[in-house]
Amino acid sequence: MNAPPGPFEPITDDSVAFLGTRPIPAKPYFDPAWFDLEREAVFRRSWLFIGHVCEVPEVGSFIRRDLEIFGASLLIIRGKDGEVRGFHNVCPHRGTQLVDDAAGRRATFSCPYHMWTFGQDGALLSAPDFERFGLEKKDCSLKQVSTEVCAGMIFVWLGKDAPPLRDWLGELADQMQTLPVARATTFSEYSYTINANWKLTYDNFQENYHLRFIHPRTGQAAFAPENPFGYPKEFGFHGLHRTQTIWSNPDPQSKPLQTTAFAKLMPGAMADDLLSTPYGRQYFALFPSFFMLGTPLQNFMHMVYPISATQSRGVIRLFWIAGDRNASERFGREAVMGTLRDVHAEDVAVIEAGQRGLSSGALEHIHFQSQEALCRHLFNGVEAAVEAYQQEQKA
Amino acid sequence: MSLPQGFEALGRFVDTWAVEGAHNRDGLRTHQSAEARQAFYDAMQPLLLPALDRLDETPLDRHDAGEKALMLLTLSYAHVALAVEVQGPDEAKHAANRQHLHITQATADA
Repeated sequence: MNAPPGPFEPITDDSVAFLGTRPIPAKPYFDPAWFDLEREAVFRRSWLFIGHVCEVPEVGSFIRRDLEIFGASLLIIRGKDGEVRGFHNVCPHRGTQLVDDAAGRRATFSCPYHMWTFGQDGALLSAPDFERFGLEKKDCSLKQVSTEVCAGMIFVWLGKDAPPLRDWLGELADQMQTLPVARATTFSEYSYTINANWKLTYDNFQENYHLRFIHPRTGQAAFAPENPFGYPKEFGFHGLHRTQTIWSNPDPQSKPLQTTAFAKLMPGAMADDLLSTPYGRQYFALFPSFFMLGTPLQNFMHMVYPISATQSRGVIRLFWIAGDRNASERFGREAVMGTLRDVHAEDVAVIEAGQRGLSSGALEHIHFQSQEALCRHLFNGVEAAVEAYQQEQKA
Repeated sequence: MSLPQGFEALGRFVDTWAVEGAHNRDGLRTHQSAEARQAFYDAMQPLLLPALDRLDETPLDRHDAGEKALMLLTLSYAHVALAVEVQGPDEAKHAANRQHLHITQATADA
């Protein structure tokens, strides 16, 4: 069970001093050339959240997902052997995209152009007049993308030499395995497109410094006189990833709707034994642009997908075990989704305002205080990856 | 179609507020007037818990037309209560922010 809330003790500046205190260069938050480096150094060399196993529940189930930063369209397919595999949604004949549907179930996947037909494992099954190519079918499979699953979540690695996902996640893999997402069978979802760099967007959700100013109404339950900014209780640094433990306000100023919604979700959570996770107040930030809050009654993830140096796409999902089992649960889930969305809606305008300021080129540097240590940790990780990539290119 | 016994007072809200789709319910919150939101909220608020108790007596897939309409009213209430209880005078400004976040899936729509 989660520990009962105690007096708030802020994270000390000394505990995050190892991250440094230097000003952060502003250019990586708007410069297209830097963004191009990030594409190769960061996003092509990271496991990226792409979906959930509940979206491909049966043999032949598939989802199509676009990753704008690569101009890529991916197919995630569950094969006859139960394995979930990822492929480029590209016919190896002449590059035509195979599938337009966002999701579905198929025994085979045929290119509309010349009817090359592939199995659920990506193997070329048939192609009209194939003998004229002088090729072997085994050499004409769909191009596979490294794909692995952890805690029910499907991740892809677009580059070469993918490390095992669980090695990449380290101890966070087992921790996330205790959350509802690992057993989820459905989810609620909303998404947005924002005119802002992916780091600027993501950083907004890594710090609570802004809560009382941007969320004076929706964020009321998160701060109190003893913790006026709603700062977290603890930070954790796990290689490129990071965590924070959210402070539990002993006297949250919740509105009647919120109180009712959570009360209506509680019986299901108890029946599903969701309250036993020790990570219910933990925020998991997976490099480069994924985070998840473990709250058992509102277990949600947020992935920021870069589009360009100054545009991104966000996807938020709340994970649920089983479809709505009764009217109360249906009501609770709708209300909780709306509540969370109301908070996130308030962030978009201020993030875009930040982007306009940065893109003006007025600043050479920006600044992170010690309670914005997770933002600094992200930038340090991105910068190190970019510099290592540049050294490789010179060698 | 008539609402279950005890909830007849909500009948005048069915045509407007008993709508399928979380996206559409959010749209109602945004596009109905503050007076219409408040009137719906005031009528629903004291009946919300009784309505959910009544609806919980029957599995969702066996709800009749009246029960389905009552269910949809409670779901619209989930959106409208955010406007009334949380946003208050800031609701119009908040609606402008909210339009950027598109609901693409809700369990009630499955």
